[in-house]
Amino acid sequence: MKQRPWLFLLPALLLVSISAFIPLITVMNYSQLTLLPGTQPYFAGLENFATILQDPDFQGALWRQCLFSFLVLITEIPLGLALAVCMPKEGIGVGVSLVLLGIPLLIPWNVVGIIWRVFTRSDIGVLPEVFEWVGYGYNVSKFAGDAWWTVLAMDIWHWTPLVILICYAGIQAIPEEYYMAAKIDRASPWKTFRYVTLPNIRGVLIIAVLLRLMDSFKIYSEPFVLTGGGPGSTTTFLSTYTSRMAIGGFQMGRGAATSLIYFFIVILLSFVLYIIMLNLGQGAGGDQ
Amino acid sequence: MSEIEARDIRHVYDQGTEDETVAIEHINLTLEDGSANALLGPSGCGKTTLLQIISGLLQPTEGQVLIDGEDVTDKPPAERDIAQVFQFPVIYDSMDVYGNLAFPLRNGGVDEAEIEDRVHKIADLLEIEDILHSSPANLGPELNQLVALGRGIIRADTSAILFDEPMTDVEPSRKLTIRRRVKEAQQEFGITALYVTHDQHEALTFAEKVAIMKDGKLVQYDTGENLYQNPVNTFIGHFIGSPGMNLLNCGLARENGAAYAQLGPHSVPLPSGIHSEIDSSWTDCQVGIRPSSIAVQVADPKDETHYVPATVNQVEMLGGYQIITATLEETDVEVKARVAHDFAIEEGVNVWLSFPPADIRFFHQQQAVSAA
Repeated sequence: MKQRPWLFLLPALLLVSISAFIPLITVMNYSQLTLLPGTQPYFAGLENFATILQDPDFQGALWRQCLFSFLVLITEIPLGLALAVCMPKEGIGVGVSLVLLGIPLLIPWNVVGIIWRVFTRSDIGVLPEVFEWVGYGYNVSKFAGDAWWTVLAMDIWHWTPLVILICYAGIQAIPEEYYMAAKIDRASPWKTFRYVTLPNIRGVLIIAVLLRLMDSFKIYSEPFVLTGGGPGSTTTFLSTYTSRMAIGGFQMGRGAATSLIYFFIVILLSFVLYIIMLNLGQGAGGDQ
Repeated sequence: MSEIEARDIRHVYDQGTEDETVAIEHINLTLEDGSANALLGPSGCGKTTLLQIISGLLQPTEGQVLIDGEDVTDKPPAERDIAQVFQFPVIYDSMDVYGNLAFPLRNGGVDEAEIEDRVHKIADLLEIEDILHSSPANLGPELNQLVALGRGIIRADTSAILFDEPMTDVEPSRKLTIRRRVKEAQQEFGITALYVTHDQHEALTFAEKVAIMKDGKLVQYDTGENLYQNPVNTFIGHFIGSPGMNLLNCGLARENGAAYAQLGPHSVPLPSGIHSEIDSSWTDCQVGIRPSSIAVQVADPKDETHYVPATVNQVEMLGGYQIITATLEETDVEVKARVAHDFAIEEGVNVWLSFPPADIRFFHQQQAVSAA
């Protein structure tokens, strides 16, 4: 009897070990080596890690990455939550809004990049045209600021619907009686949100924040397709840096080391955020 | 602290759509100031709908709600000063017990010193002083339900409190304690209370008067004793009491001005007060008698009249008493009677049953016929 859950988990565990565990071990192995094309690999120990951590390009990418993920979270989470609260709760509006919200989520990352690339091209794009009317010379391949907020806008457009859907599902699961009680207790709409909606969706909100943190940390295709990480290296994030190191620069050992550093940063940040959110508000966890 | 009146209330869900359902119809109910009332009825009879209309969570399709004579039908719940305790404990998880109790007062702009005073008074009354600073997530449903109750009665201007099957989540062994505290709080503040339940024991122990609903209609609103003794129709007769009243289809016979219920070949004298109310041509008549009112004897009563012979089909021992089910001889009429726990009886024996006229109720077309 006791072994049964493990039996059910076995197929998933096998898949995970093939698709994640084995590559991870391989990467760990590579990270200790110096691998250059046409030469014998030799053991480099922690040298790769030290080099990367001291590389100003890496530091820049990491800083940009953190800033980007921070901006993504502080925009998408409140925005998604607010829109989820405003979503219709019954009737035909529910289906319509769910379909509309689903559209961005159904589009693959690189296609999103291409859509926005066409959208922002200085020769045929709509966005530069519109900005020209208001007297602003918008150009993603020239101005770092433009490239930056365009990538951010892309991510918000692409992923806020996910936050909305998660929050909406959480809100729909709150028993109606809580809202009835709040009405009887003369709670204002803000207090109803603060003491009924928010505590009751804390669990799903944690999931939304973690998903967005991890996903935004992994952003690759969109800036790559839009600007190729430029202008300069202004939209070069950790993933772009890693792939450049490994594939563009043929330095597999360093690439592997970067991946591992990258991996631990994501885990560490997710863990810290999870602990913080779990302890927000007293009587945390418990029934969630 | 207020008189609550529901006047000619009717409510239809999803009006104008194909799902249209009439939940309650033409209900008139007045709850006296400071009284404890219960609303009893089978599941789906419209109890909760009526409750929500009174508290203002639902707008009735037709009719009015009056508090102390003032029409509040269009007022939101917050302006009615009516508290409600729900089926499961509705607690604000992110606040401690103190915060929960203080919540309605803080929303009403009461100053902190007075809030502290009220919270301690209520906590003392409900005997939850020791958990004031605990998180509700760590308390069981019983205590949480007490906190929810406390939140209901904490406002000094609460005019009525409505309970919607509040004992659903409470463990059977704790129900008595919780009910006692609820009742004490209701009496202490003299709050008009309406307690919705489908458990008649709960209704009868809590309330002075019980309103019984069926299929969206108010059938009878009366004291527990009257509901038991003088049901207005066969539904109440059967619904109240465990087991319910025996309801036997009968014919009518007249002899020297007196009326008799005819159960096959057996005639049972009806109470003298209703003889003049009965029309011999009536059909669809029922005679009702409580199992505890039937006298059972094993020995042949010989010449004594109006004993009905019967055969015992089933004997159920219920600890303090036994319930026997017997079929009247030469008929297929089954009767339940209650006898003492030490009454010697077994299945298959013949007995004689007597129906004391004073305890007999007579129904025509399911409605009680009473003395003019």
